[in-house]
Amino acid sequence: MINHDETVDFAIDEELILVKESVQTREEIIQKLGGLLFKNGFVKDSYTQAVLQREITYPTGLPARMAGVAVPHTDTDHVLKPAIAIANLAEPVTFFMMGSPETEVKVEIVIMLAVHDAKLVIPVLRKVIFILEDDEALLKIKNASTKTEIKNAMVEHIQSLSAKGK
Amino acid sequence: MYKVKIIVVCGSGVAMAMHAAFKLREALEKEKLYVHIDGTGNNELASRIAAYDMVVSNAQVLVKTDKPVFSAIPLITGVGEKELLEKIIAKVREIQTAKNGN
Repeated sequence: MINHDETVDFAIDEELILVKESVQTREEIIQKLGGLLFKNGFVKDSYTQAVLQREITYPTGLPARMAGVAVPHTDTDHVLKPAIAIANLAEPVTFFMMGSPETEVKVEIVIMLAVHDAKLVIPVLRKVIFILEDDEALLKIKNASTKTEIKNAMVEHIQSLSAKGK
Repeated sequence: MYKVKIIVVCGSGVAMAMHAAFKLREALEKEKLYVHIDGTGNNELASRIAAYDMVVSNAQVLVKTDKPVFSAIPLITGVGEKELLEKIIAKVREIQTAKNGN
């Protein structure tokens, strides 16, 4: 049973986190995280395939200061309840860059978004996306060796933004 | 004062471009530049671009245009954001001046 974190309105749970995950391809990590979201009832069974498809047309690799990050996601139709699934990778895998599909990004952190209603979740989703600029939080997630460390880094990042009134 | 019209293009349609648009508006308002910002999906850009002065996009812009096109990515990662904002601010001022006929 997943406990929703009341303060973030988004399920961020250790059941949805993979640590030092060893994968060869971006498809593999998308399938693993999508599988966790599906198994825990956040997305429909069509979600993972839709994310894989979308990643081809609109890649989501983002070269942030502290790490290469990918934020795979897809249309709201495939999502039941909002959640994010997070993984740090044992070895980077190649994604292509958002807005620049020929540019490769070596990705070390994957933050998979399950968004059921873009308008409704935009305030909290913005906080999640702001982690790309939060060097300290991103480093913590990149170097984490336990699920708890990853979860805490994300939750603390979101709470620190909330405290600043963002 | 003429309000520069900016169209923000989202490839994914979920929230990335909306995030970029919020940050852009905030940065421009700090410079006392008040603009009109609309969002659109990549597939609708061709039919809507005529009504705007500038494009900011997190998707590859394939529409041929002589209007200035900027990438939204620096607003999302924070990398190169300052430089991007300087360019956009300069362009907004330039368009404002031209449209006001000064």
